[in-house]
Formats: sequence, structure tokens, C-alpha cells
Amino acid sequence: MSDQAQDRDRPTQGLDAVDVSDLLRSVEGPGTGFRVASTLLILVILGGWVIFGRQLLYGLGVTGLNQPVAWGFYIVNFVFFIGISHAGTLISAILRLSNAEWRRPITRMAEVITVVVLAIGGFHPVLDLGRPDRMLNIFSAGRLQSPLLWDVSSITAYFMASTVYLYIPLIPDIALLRDRGAKPQWLYKFMAWGWQDTPRQRHVLERAVSILMVLVIPIAVSVHTVISYIFAMTLQPGWHSTIFGPYFVVGAIFSGIAALLVVMIVLRKIFRLERYLKEIHFDHLSKLLLIMALLWFYFTFSEYLTAFFGNEPSEMGVFYYKLTGPYWPWFWGMVACNFLIPVAILSFKRTRRVPGILVASIAVVIGMWLERLNIVVPSLANPRLPYPAGFYVPSLVEWAMFAGGIATFILGFVLFARFFPLISIWELKEGREEAVRETMKRVESYLPDPAPRES
Amino acid sequence: MSASDSGIGVTPRWIYALQVASVGVMWVFVIGISGWILHLNRLSHRLQDVPSATVAISIVAIPVFLTGASVLTYVFVGLQRGRRTPGPEPEGEA
Amino acid sequence: MARWGMTIDLDRCTGCGNCMAACHQENNLTAVGPEETRENRAFHWLRVLREVDGEAPNQKVTYKPVLCVQCDDPPCVRVCPVHATYRNEEGIVGQVYSRCIGCRYCMAACPYNAKVFNWFEPEWPGDLVKKANPDVSLRPKGVVEKCTFCHHRVVRAREQAAADGRELRDGDVTTACAESCPAKAIVFGDLDDPDSRVSRLARSPRAYRPHADLGTRPKVIYLAEQE
Repeated sequence: MSDQAQDRDRPTQGLDAVDVSDLLRSVEGPGTGFRVASTLLILVILGGWVIFGRQLLYGLGVTGLNQPVAWGFYIVNFVFFIGISHAGTLISAILRLSNAEWRRPITRMAEVITVVVLAIGGFHPVLDLGRPDRMLNIFSAGRLQSPLLWDVSSITAYFMASTVYLYIPLIPDIALLRDRGAKPQWLYKFMAWGWQDTPRQRHVLERAVSILMVLVIPIAVSVHTVISYIFAMTLQPGWHSTIFGPYFVVGAIFSGIAALLVVMIVLRKIFRLERYLKEIHFDHLSKLLLIMALLWFYFTFSEYLTAFFGNEPSEMGVFYYKLTGPYWPWFWGMVACNFLIPVAILSFKRTRRVPGILVASIAVVIGMWLERLNIVVPSLANPRLPYPAGFYVPSLVEWAMFAGGIATFILGFVLFARFFPLISIWELKEGREEAVRETMKRVESYLPDPAPRES
Repeated sequence: MSASDSGIGVTPRWIYALQVASVGVMWVFVIGISGWILHLNRLSHRLQDVPSATVAISIVAIPVFLTGASVLTYVFVGLQRGRRTPGPEPEGEA
Repeated sequence: MARWGMTIDLDRCTGCGNCMAACHQENNLTAVGPEETRENRAFHWLRVLREVDGEAPNQKVTYKPVLCVQCDDPPCVRVCPVHATYRNEEGIVGQVYSRCIGCRYCMAACPYNAKVFNWFEPEWPGDLVKKANPDVSLRPKGVVEKCTFCHHRVVRAREQAAADGRELRDGDVTTACAESCPAKAIVFGDLDDPDSRVSRLARSPRAYRPHADLGTRPKVIYLAEQE
């Protein structure tokens, strides 16, 4: 392979200073772990679909849904998964936009979360349809005035933008794999789009990334706002609230950061990335998580206090159903998972270390799922008087699809790690070569100018 | 490295065609979405079903999709023009 | 053009349930059976709810037939993603069974819980399906359905009136529930005709519209002595 060195494209140059071959280990030498993991996950997913076959065959009656509670796990998971998707693109875009140098080893994973989870979440409303065979009616006879169609267009736009936003910063790393002769060669050649790391190509790439990160932020905000509008646009008690948009966006970013932290900690362990994902990255990101926990509490407090103080009978029905009624374990579990546990762990430097952060992040992911459950079901179960209250117990089909959704999420990561580096190599390299100088210059520019000599 | 190294004998010309096709697919998708949104506009107009809201949503939605596809095309064209040796054949290939 | 409405006199209602049975028969509603009913999937376009006020022995029990109130500004129509539910020019809120995708957004958005969903393929035990009303279509599984104010009767009455060479008169059309009520608590008619029975009753001081505060402008009006 020595004759290649002279002819080699530039990405491999200068990388010797930063030995990144351990980042490519999962691509160049996938072990039995990959095969075992993907087989197991595919089995779980297939199992979910087999059980779901009952729903296709017999109808939605095989779920636990019923008369007043017409929406359940499918919609809960739809909101939950789409919420997680805000990890990625939004966080990575905000960190890129604010020139946060510590973002470099994080952004790629965040973007992968977004794309994988959006695909899963976006599919959930289809599972929820009574007539999935008529889904194309949305295209032939859709009403853009319906909040559901706002979702369709917003999620499609987000999926498109976040896929492009994942792909474009991936190009130099694909080219690196192409040049190292990774198999299948044709795939890397195709996906590298002729990248040779010329200054002009670099300029194009950087400009595209800056356009995309600005474009992606409003789209990401719109996605969860619009999802909240599905609920907020109805007149139902507990849903018809003006702060639902920002409340959902805050919750989405909150759960997204938590999911990102879990993913980072798990992948760090599996692929031995301790050299790249250091304590400082977890420290910074968990501080963001702490801020979001406080913000989440503020929104929740405002939401429930206005309901309580207004004392409207229909609102109070939903309110007490959650706080003291059948949903009390889920409501107070949500408060503990989203507020008490993360704040207790992350407020102190002594506990704000990787094991503590893992516990807090898992708590937040569970807590945010509970929050979605607490929003969807109690409002439907407590219609206005005189209509009788309802109940909801999810069935095996719904649990199987939930497990399938989580398995698909993990499978997405397994497959991505098999074919692409989980950490952006060229951005790390850029950080080493240029960012130190740039950051110093930037800090200097913050300092006061020298005093004028003459008057 | 020869073309046969690439496993199943995918030639550079084929790869270039695939790359152009992938950008094409993006445009088909984006134009499809825009066409669909315009169709919904016509529908809401014909049924007098809040056409103003449909128009307002379309004005926001369509440019977003077009921007996405434009950025992707910009990158593709930029990368092709920025190569040291332009054309479909990556250098060093037999 | 008529604007169909209904008054239900709660002071007359005895809670006998005749209206529910008549509605089932008239509109070919499926029979879901006791098992599904226990799972809260009882299938009615019209239900008689029992309201209990106070403690025994001084208990006051009232019955309230509830059905789609045929809003003039229906929240369900606003949210439907596929034009499957609509308000026709006579104020009746309809459902297009062949277009509905079963997302159940209209059910979630309806403050009156008026819509029902076909959780399974609908069944008619015995030879009931042979006795189905030919004027009303049978629904498939996975779609939402609702009270139509016996729209097929309106159509038929209008045809009859046209054949007789006259305008539709008050009393020409009535719904199955109103027809079957032994206490004559339910009255159906044109709310735009100031002389119709339903209009006169709707102007009664006992009249109130359910959840009028929501701004949905319901056309089912209850009559009850206010305390």
C-alpha cells in the first residue's frame, strides 16, 4: 500500500499527529459483537412486528385503547421519540453556532440520534391509524389546516434537514475511510462525493454547514411546537394551553440532552472512547442538563399552578387525576425523575461524574416519557361532565411495539458505528490544527483595546 | 488500485452516475412535496375550507424544502468543482 | 335551507333507553358484546347517562340522553387531516366512512365524546345483518362514526315532499330516537323556521345548550327546570 501514499488525498496527512485508528476500529474490524448485537436487535424488532400483525389483522381493538382514551402508547411514544430527536441536531447546531469548542467529539452522535429517532417517532402515528391502508388519503385529500398535517410537513422538513446536516459533515470522514480502503469500497466512494480536501471543497463544506445549522434550529423548534399544537389546538382540559409549544420544546431538548448523555456514556464504554469523551465534556453537557431540569420544572409549575388556581371543574378533574388519582405514581415519578434526581445529582461537583450523570440521564429519559404519558392519557380519560371518566391499560401489542422502537434505536447506532466513525475525525483534527489559534484570537478580541496614546 | 478492487466491480463512472442520481432523488422528493402542498392548496380553495391558512402554511413550508435541496446541490456541485482533477474519474484509478 | 336541531326535555326523560335501542336498529350499529363493553368500548351514537345528585335516601337521579350535538362550529371538523368529517349546508356534521383513516383526532378533539370508533370488524349477531336498514351504509373496521341526525330520513322526507309537490313541513322528518321516545322528550325539526316546534321549545326559558361556553354552537338543546 506504500505507492498510495504519494497519490493519497490529503485527509490522511497530519492525522499521524492524532492517531485516530481506534475511532475506525468499529468500521475496519467489526467483531462478533456487531453480529450478535444486530441479530438480537433484529429479532426483537421482528418479534414486535409479528405481534403487531394482530393489529393489522383484527384492528385497533387488540390495543388497550377505548372510548374516551382514544390515544395511548403510540401517541405517547410518538411525542417521546420526536422529543429525543431534539438532542441532536438542535444541540449540535447551537454548539456549533456558539463556537463551543468542546462540541467536536459530541456533534456526530447527537446528529445520529436525531435521524434515527425521527424515523422511529415519525412512523408512530402510522401505527396508530385505524386504516393504515388509507394513509395515502393524506396526500390526495389532506387538509393543511389540520395540526396533524402541520406535523407531517414539519417532521418531513426536519428529517430532510437533519439527514443533510448529518451527511455533509460526514463527507470528509467517509473520504478518509475510502482512502484507507475500507470495505465496501464502492459505498465509501459513492458517499464521499469526490472529496479531496482541497481548500475550495473545504470552503464549500463549511459554508453549507453554517447555512444548515441556522436553518435547522427554527425547524427543530417548529417540530415540537407543532406536536404540542396537536394537543393545544383542541379545547380539552389539560391540553388547551398557550405555553404548550415552549413547554414541549423545553421538554424535548431536556430529554434529548439526557439521551445524548446516555448514548455517549454507553458508546464510550463499548468503543473505549475515553480519550475523546473526557470528564470535561460530560461536565459541560450535564450542566446544560441541569439548566434544562430547572427550566422544565418552571414550565411544569406554571402549567399546573394556573390550572389549580383557576379551579375550573373540568381542569380540576384532570389535575386531581394526575396528582392524587390513579395517575399519582406516574405524576410524582415524573417529578422525581425529571427534577429531584437530576438536580440532586448534578448540583454537586462530587456527584457530577460519569456514574452520577448516567443515573441522572436515565432518570430524565424515563421521566420525560412519563411526562408524555401524563399529558396524553389523563386529559382523554377525564372528559367534561357529564361524560364518564375512562381508563387505559396498554396491551401486549403496544408494549411490543415500544420494545421494537427502542431496539430500532439501538440498531440504528449499531449499524451507524459499523459503517461510519462515531466521532467526527476531521473536526477533531481541525480543532487540533486551527481551533486553538482561533480561540486564542477570539479571546484576545474580547479583551479591552489598548488605550489611545494621543488625545 | 483497480476498479476490480471495489468489490463488485463498480466503475468510477457508475459511482459518479449514482452520485448525480442521489442529488436527483433529493430534488424529486422536494418537488414532490411542493407539488403535494400546492395540490392541498387547490383542494382547500375548491372546498372553501380556510384557504388562507393553507396558503400561509405553504409559504413557510415550501421554501424550507427548497433550501434543503439547494444546500445539498450546492455541496455536490462545489465538491465536484473543487476537485484537483475534475470529471467523473477519481485520479489514480485504472 | 333548513338548519336541523333537536330539543331534549330532561324533565320528561324517564331513562327507559328506548332511544338507544331505536338508534341501534335504525343506523345499523354493531353489537360489541359484554366483553368489549367492560373494556369501555360500548358502541352507541346516543347514550343515556345517569346523574346522581346527593346522598341516599335524599337522592335525585336524572337521566340525560347524549349524542352528537351537531355543532355549528365543530371542533372535530377543524382537526380532521383528510376531509373525512364535515358540516353540511343544513348543519349536520357527517363522516365519510370511505375516506376516514382512523387517526381518531376528531374523537380526541370532541368535547362531547360524541364519536365512536370501530375497534374491530363490526359484527351483527344472528341474522341481524339481514335486517339492516337499507338506507344506512354498514361501516368497516378502523373508522370513526357518529350520529347523523338520521340524515337518510331527511333525504327521504324531502323526496316525498317533492313528489307531493310541496315544501317540507315541520313534522315531516323526525329522528329514530325522537320517534321512539314514549315520554315525547325528544323533538326534532328546523331551528331556522321560527314556527317549528323545536324552535319554540328552544326559546323556552328552560332551554340550555351543552357547554355553550366553548363556542361550538351546538344544535342539541336541553330543556330542564333550573334550580
